[in-house]
Amino acid sequence: MLKSVGHNFYTPFLSLFDQLVLGNCVLLVNLRRMRLEKCWFCSSTVYPGHGIQFVRNDAKIFHFCRSKCHKNFKMKRNPRKVKWTKAYRRLHGKDMTQDSTFEFERKRNRPERYDRNLAENTLKAIKKIDKIRSDRASDHIKNRLKTGKVQRQKEARKQLELGIHLVKAPLALAQDSSLCLPKIKDNVSQAQTEENQPMEE
Amino acid sequence: MVQYNFKKITVVPNGKDFIDIILSRTQRQTPTVVHKGYAISRLRQFYMRKVKYTQQNFHEKLSTIIDEFPRLDDIHPFYGDLLHVLYNKDHYKLALGQINTARNLISKIAKDYVKLLKYGDSLYRCKSLKVAALGRMCTVIKRIGPSLAYLEQIRQHMARLPSIDPNTRTMLICGYPNVGKSSFMNKITRADVDVQPYAFTTKSLFVGHTDYKYLRYQVIDTPGILDRPFEDRNIIEMCSITALAHLRAAVLFFLDISGSCGYSIAQQAALFHSIKSLFMNKPLIIVCNKTDLQPLDGISEEDRKLVMEMKAEAMKTVIGQGGEPTNEEGVLLTMSTLTEDGVIAVKNAACERLLNQRVELKMKSKKINDCLNRFHVALPKARDQKERPACIPQAVLEAKAKQAAEKEKRKTEKELEDENGGAGVYSASLRKNYILANDEWKEDTMPEILDGHNVYDFIDPDILLRLEELEREEGLRQAEEEGDDFEMDGQELSLEEQEALAEIRKKKSLLIQQHRMKKSTAESRPVVPRKFDTDRKFTTRRMGRQLSSLGLDPSLAISRARSKSRGRKRERSVDKREGDGRDAMDIDDNQASKKLRLRSTSRSRSLSRPPGEVIPGEGLKDSAQKIKAIKLAKKSVLKRNKNARRGEADRVIPTLKPKHLFSGKRSIGKTQRR
Repeated sequence: MLKSVGHNFYTPFLSLFDQLVLGNCVLLVNLRRMRLEKCWFCSSTVYPGHGIQFVRNDAKIFHFCRSKCHKNFKMKRNPRKVKWTKAYRRLHGKDMTQDSTFEFERKRNRPERYDRNLAENTLKAIKKIDKIRSDRASDHIKNRLKTGKVQRQKEARKQLELGIHLVKAPLALAQDSSLCLPKIKDNVSQAQTEENQPMEE
Repeated sequence: MVQYNFKKITVVPNGKDFIDIILSRTQRQTPTVVHKGYAISRLRQFYMRKVKYTQQNFHEKLSTIIDEFPRLDDIHPFYGDLLHVLYNKDHYKLALGQINTARNLISKIAKDYVKLLKYGDSLYRCKSLKVAALGRMCTVIKRIGPSLAYLEQIRQHMARLPSIDPNTRTMLICGYPNVGKSSFMNKITRADVDVQPYAFTTKSLFVGHTDYKYLRYQVIDTPGILDRPFEDRNIIEMCSITALAHLRAAVLFFLDISGSCGYSIAQQAALFHSIKSLFMNKPLIIVCNKTDLQPLDGISEEDRKLVMEMKAEAMKTVIGQGGEPTNEEGVLLTMSTLTEDGVIAVKNAACERLLNQRVELKMKSKKINDCLNRFHVALPKARDQKERPACIPQAVLEAKAKQAAEKEKRKTEKELEDENGGAGVYSASLRKNYILANDEWKEDTMPEILDGHNVYDFIDPDILLRLEELEREEGLRQAEEEGDDFEMDGQELSLEEQEALAEIRKKKSLLIQQHRMKKSTAESRPVVPRKFDTDRKFTTRRMGRQLSSLGLDPSLAISRARSKSRGRKRERSVDKREGDGRDAMDIDDNQASKKLRLRSTSRSRSLSRPPGEVIPGEGLKDSAQKIKAIKLAKKSVLKRNKNARRGEADRVIPTLKPKHLFSGKRSIGKTQRR
């Protein structure tokens, strides 16, 4: 559906253009072909047939993956301040920002002549690069959380030390220095068993 | 242009209407209400305004009439003469003069009466002065009534005059009545002039337009002229005479060869000679019409002689212009409007003659030097007979030849398409002309998207190298990572420690919860002293359990607690019985203590209590009060419970719109409201 607000234009994402042949060679140009875009607000990928594309009067194009992002944009929210967006996460160091794996994916404007081997290699390479990148990203997050872990362990140890008297009396602790918890002994049942014993006898 | 368009003159109202219009306007546009109690200046002003207003309106309207009617001296003499012929110049001028005088008279009247009004001393006097003024003005208009009517008639007639531009290219058609002028007019233009067998069918000038060599020519059809002395001519003939006299046009004199118009060639020749003075400086063509009835060659000798005389006269006009007397054919022409034979030739000849004459005149005028360059293109004179064609290099000629040959040899895509079934069936293979390293790759489809990435973004000739580098880096990094991980593991808690920690936290949260509950209910909770223990929390069993959960042996504590709560009697008896210095508090001996236990008076009360029994510390006076209190409590809860409400604040409606209440018909009764 096409919506025009004032002079700005909205188009649905899927553009129905044919392959372009320039001269006598096939160009690996993404000229009017299907392209995965990045949502301007949350930076997730927008697949063909999804989302909205907003063209502003100054010819800047904004892609949105879903109406949530679109509505946030219309509310003039800054994605760098909205917690769940990639922009925020990168800015506040939650996610990996600089890495050599990002260099591989670059929008290329100069077309290359088609080469089957090159295409094959590229496809294989994409998979590997992906794996490396995701590994690095998860490591980044793990490292980030490590300091918290250390702190929490220290706290836990302290709490254990201070609060052990709630579960094991110091007297019992002195006798038995291991931390195995004592079992509850019901003295009435104990007495009963004792009573029973002579009865049985 | 006022010159030839009289359609824009406003309607001249007749006398009575004129008065009505002006007076009603005065009544509407000036204030109407006045009372004799007003100040005298106000009264005077009121009536003066009326008088002045009326005068102004008359003045305005009469001025427009005078201005809009054309002044016969200011317009083109053709129109001046035409109007004179039609309406008589003198009458016209007189009428307009009368209007003018009327205008002046009215102004004078108004001036006089305004002067008088200045000294009017009562409403009545002012009013009568105004009445007199207006009355006199209206009388003036009434007197010029006939002039107004005359002018109106003239205006109507003038509006219907044909709009003839006196300065443009014009062809004038003249001759005896019934010779075929109007038929010729109909043939060459789109004018639809009446053609009838009786004479004077055409009673006024008619204008048509025709084209020749991309120029527009006016063709004017005149009423027929009879051979009479000038003074005897009637208005209709005078129209054509006027046209002949004043318009610079090509004249086509029509001659009826066959005589079917009712007049012989001799009579027509006589007419020709009588008006030939009007043909000065005008290209003249003699047109012999109705040749289908009588061809030109078949006329009698005298007639032929007359015709030749006319032709000679016409030739004179050609020579008189200083042009070469070569073109004889353009002077005497034959045609037949019925068979349309020669009509176009006549028109062309006339147009040509007129055009040449006009061009010559223009050439002789002074202004020509400004635009002379537009007429004359200078070409260099050839100095010898040598041919000098354009120079084209040989290579270009060869290439051109080759291209032409190629165009014929190559099979186009369109032909291919046509062969294979046309546009809808055949789709051209765009890939077949691709230039690739290996021709097998021509039909390859390359994926554009993989795993959420655009493949085109990754394409790089040295992607393999870079990938290798990356993998090496990754290997190094992972080795480092493992090293780091090892360091970290030492500080973890053991399983036992974790369990203990979990228990600690649970206990703590329980304590906190209890404390919070206590705190929130502190004000509404009765404070029962511990010794009454309504909840039966403080039992030795419980204490024992708690102590043992902490890992302590509770038995000592329990026995101590129990012994403390023993009655006095029992204590003393114990003393008496065992006087061997054993401590009264020693309850380790099971046998003795069992008995004592059974008979202990401090044994907690049996668990069932009568309903109305008042526990001291509860806050109720006696059992009657307690029973009443219990009853009240139950009553307050009953209704709520019946409505399945969990408490006072429970306002939950499980189904807001239960279907059975909001839909369905009733088996008996009406469903007027739900």
